[in-house]
Amino acid sequence: MFSFRGCGRWVAASLTKQHHPSSRFSGDSAAPWTPHFDVVVIGGGHAGTEAAAAAARCGSRTLLLTHRVDTIGQMSCNPSFGGIGKGHLMREVDALDGLCSRICDQSGVHYKVLNRRKGPAVWGLRAQIDRKLYKQNMQKEILNTPLLTVREGAVEDLILTEPEPEHTGKYRVSGVVLGDGSTVYAESVVLTTGTFLRGMIVIGLEMHPAGRLGDQPSIGLAQTLEKLGFVVGRLKTGTPPRIAKESINFSILNKQTPDNPSIPFSFINETVWIKPEDQLPCYLTHTNPQVDEIVLENLHLNCHVKESTRGPRYCPSIESKVLRFPNRLHQVWLEPEGMDSDLIYPQGLSVTLPADLQEKMITCIRGLEKAKMIQPGYGVQYDYLDPRQITPSLETHLVQRLFFAGQINGTTGYEEAAAQGVIAGINASLRVRHKPPFVISRTEGYIGVLIDDLTTLGTSEPYRMFTSRAEFRLSLRPDNADSRLTFRGYKEAGCVSQQRYERATWMKSSLEEGISVLKSIEFPSSKWKNLIPEASISIGRSLPLRALDVLKYEEVDTELLAKAVPEPLKKYTKCRELAERLKIEDF
Amino acid sequence: MLPVEHPFAAPQRASPLPLSLASASRSEDLQWVGEPTSGSTSALRDLNPVIFRPQTLQSVHPPAAELPLGPYTRQGSGAPAPSSGATVFALSSGQGRCGIAVIRTSGPASGQALRSLTAPRDLPPARKACLRLLSDPRSGEPLDRALVLWFPGPQSFTGEDCAEFHVHGGPAVVSGVLQALGSVPGLRPAEAGEFTRRAFAHGKLSLTEVEGLADLIHAETEAQRRQALRQLDGELNHLCRGWAETLTKALAHVEAYIDFGEDDNLEEGVLDQADSEVRELEVALGAHLRDARRGQRLRSGAHAVVVGPPNAGKSSLVNLLSRKPVSIVSPEPGTTRDVLETPVDLAGFPVLLSDTAGLREGVGPVEQEGVRRAQKRLEQADLILAVLDASDLASPSSCNFLDTVVIPAGAGSPNGSNQRLLLVLNKSDLLPAGGPDPSPDLPPHLLLSCLTGDGLDGLLEALRKELAALCGDPSTDPPLLTRARHQHHLQGCLDALGHYKQAKDLALAAEALRVARGHLTRITGGGGAEEILDIIFRDFCVGK
Repeated sequence: MFSFRGCGRWVAASLTKQHHPSSRFSGDSAAPWTPHFDVVVIGGGHAGTEAAAAAARCGSRTLLLTHRVDTIGQMSCNPSFGGIGKGHLMREVDALDGLCSRICDQSGVHYKVLNRRKGPAVWGLRAQIDRKLYKQNMQKEILNTPLLTVREGAVEDLILTEPEPEHTGKYRVSGVVLGDGSTVYAESVVLTTGTFLRGMIVIGLEMHPAGRLGDQPSIGLAQTLEKLGFVVGRLKTGTPPRIAKESINFSILNKQTPDNPSIPFSFINETVWIKPEDQLPCYLTHTNPQVDEIVLENLHLNCHVKESTRGPRYCPSIESKVLRFPNRLHQVWLEPEGMDSDLIYPQGLSVTLPADLQEKMITCIRGLEKAKMIQPGYGVQYDYLDPRQITPSLETHLVQRLFFAGQINGTTGYEEAAAQGVIAGINASLRVRHKPPFVISRTEGYIGVLIDDLTTLGTSEPYRMFTSRAEFRLSLRPDNADSRLTFRGYKEAGCVSQQRYERATWMKSSLEEGISVLKSIEFPSSKWKNLIPEASISIGRSLPLRALDVLKYEEVDTELLAKAVPEPLKKYTKCRELAERLKIEDF
Repeated sequence: MLPVEHPFAAPQRASPLPLSLASASRSEDLQWVGEPTSGSTSALRDLNPVIFRPQTLQSVHPPAAELPLGPYTRQGSGAPAPSSGATVFALSSGQGRCGIAVIRTSGPASGQALRSLTAPRDLPPARKACLRLLSDPRSGEPLDRALVLWFPGPQSFTGEDCAEFHVHGGPAVVSGVLQALGSVPGLRPAEAGEFTRRAFAHGKLSLTEVEGLADLIHAETEAQRRQALRQLDGELNHLCRGWAETLTKALAHVEAYIDFGEDDNLEEGVLDQADSEVRELEVALGAHLRDARRGQRLRSGAHAVVVGPPNAGKSSLVNLLSRKPVSIVSPEPGTTRDVLETPVDLAGFPVLLSDTAGLREGVGPVEQEGVRRAQKRLEQADLILAVLDASDLASPSSCNFLDTVVIPAGAGSPNGSNQRLLLVLNKSDLLPAGGPDPSPDLPPHLLLSCLTGDGLDGLLEALRKELAALCGDPSTDPPLLTRARHQHHLQGCLDALGHYKQAKDLALAAEALRVARGHLTRITGGGGAEEILDIIFRDFCVGK
């Protein structure tokens, strides 16, 4: 019998191909022995994958436990990543060598930076993502991560032991019990169960237990956590119906084209996998009074809306939009689900009406008159744990070495989950190695804002990141996430690869050098005016003007400046990112 | 006794204090979660009012134990939290022998303390005075027959359970009751200002109200009392809060435009509306800052300086106004050589009255120094009482004084300050009775005889008018900025609004508004990001 660790990856990799239930775990049929890992991550969503990969990057022998390997990396709601605030989080996850940004650069079908006209601090990197590609690429990444093993199984209970006296906490977690009664021992455990804790799906008046449409919820685990004394709350969220692409009349709708060139999410990518001209467009349509009418007439058939459980204010269902802002036309974005997908995701149409009424509502909308609904929208209600019960390293106060990340902490969104996942994975690993926790402060990153808000204020609705939450918004920009976090990640956590570290080091020194060169170039303003007639430089000034000052003009960028003074500035335009960052830093 | 002038309002999330507080409180957090049944809920709530906010988790399942989720607010999070859960007691009335002395307790063990001293009786009805025999809980020895009051929280001064013992004011009674209270488990003597600090931490008083309370306790004149009471009633807070609300709304609209402008269809003109709100706010702040020192004058006294040539009767005037012999008076010129200060209550306004050396040249070095000091004091004066000898108006020193001091001040303030001047012609008793005005060419003036008191009523009335203009009239004017820090933050807010208008990058413009709001919330408290989000989601239909 070869060691469990050695075979784990192979087992998981084979699973994705064969999907043979009896061969789920090679250790099951063997003699009674108990696997032992440094870090066990429960859940294979956006928090779980990041946590597992981060722990493994830090050098911990890591096990990822999931209900089904083939749902690892599933995007269970919108087919997009990023946006304003969320794009900031992705950049920070990437700066710590996390996965989602790199996977998005390989899986997007429509890349667009939001807020381009509003100053670099609030640019929002965003992309429509091909669900299938994302899942495939994520699974490939996870199954090929050294030190990371994947196993299928439902966790039903935690194994607890006496607490370590030098830390706070009533218990210490030392492993998990699976649904089949087997156990896995672990030095740290990360829980990333998403909406699966006592998850209930709601369509119209029907409710049935499920974490996601078609997936079983975790009930035993929820009971365990409650019995331990964790304060549990309830939240809800929703997802819109999916529509057949060929049944939509796009020709009469507003078309939105992607950016050219596409800006990649990851610092280590110069480009994305797909050319702008090959990318897919999005379309915009609007609701109308008929939609309002259907919603208002059928409120009695809609128990999700009536319940008092808190849903997100910023991701409202069409029902709550109609109720709170009546007599308005609400936007509906028709987004592609993927390159070869027949589905369209109508963003803005999250709804929990009975399925037949959903279809009736959809066909009232311009462009969707003949639309065929493939899957109804539904609401999800789930348990979350008051995040004031965890520390800034995401470890629980109550149970030592138990970490929570993602929706279990009351957040919403892939990016928020990924950000917590990376931090939980790093800290689960550091904890095993008796190293101080890796905590990002509010002054260092949106991740710090997110975790500080959660752990000190808690949340009463699904928490989403906005740039308005960040006090230091002007310095916590998407462009400089690497200089804020990559060096710390490399030195303190060990979660950053050598390649990324070197790239960040090169960027940092190039920027410093570039700025000092820009400072050293001085001409009279009249000469600058001749060199760059586009710039509104006033020539009356007696003092000479530095290149650095000229770059401050709104209409001057590094390219323009380098054309005027090719030597020594030309070399700073070779790298698009460097040229852009010089301009931003100067600003 | 109170945390006056200490800028502990700093409610900014970014300041290191709240963050370190939050982490420092973690071990206590843990106890609530782990041992939720130990101690009463209110005791748990008291552990750390800083990180709690009003919110209840909506658990659909019966909670495992009583949820330790009390109401809390982040306002005032810059203040150190009161030490956890302790019940404090103190003598709240003045020290020394008196008819009645009041001893207060605040904290979760207040009820226990009250019961211990009044055993075997039950707690009196809430907020009703009851006569009880107080006795030492250890020895059972009677201490006093006293009125006791029971204020269950949160409807009490501090927001905690409070008890009051109105005992006879003899030192032995007071110390006996204090000792008895000290023997009750969980009670300890209060630190200076601790009752008020607890009231602040529980959101019972805002920072400006705490300042108003301190002022009320220290108020010595009528106008000071009125002003302090108004501030304690929250008028200044209300005013600043109104401004802060306008600003928060403008900021929320800018933030909404940043976070949602691209993806959601915000209505047109969101930014224009923010711009016009900022303009209105600028006007309001500018108007209020125009004579911002009035409140400070009212709080710490207006500076009135009595000046004039030698032997005009300045010291006599000072003694007359202060109703006590502050200065030595003699017919010899140059008697007063230094600046003599005395605080007086003039028509209800606090005034720091300074007597100065007579202004003249060519005398000895000591008197010369006195003249220099007099001139220096003159420059700092809010109100100049220029005194001339009515019978000696033609003398060179009088003319010189008129030319150098009175005329310039009357012609408008030389250094842009709003100094005021009253010209007093003393020694009117030396003028022929019923004679014509001796000086029709002089600026407006008052005739007075310090010797007979003739003209004093007229002078007091004139002083009242001048002081009302200098200090503001606390019974009619808008709330005053009683402290330098109020003025500082309003000015900072106004400056930041100026930056907002200049910024081209919307993120920079929003930053200016954030700075402006930060200044206002240093006066009012509050100022979290959540308030902005509340406005965004109330005013706009955003999100998908």
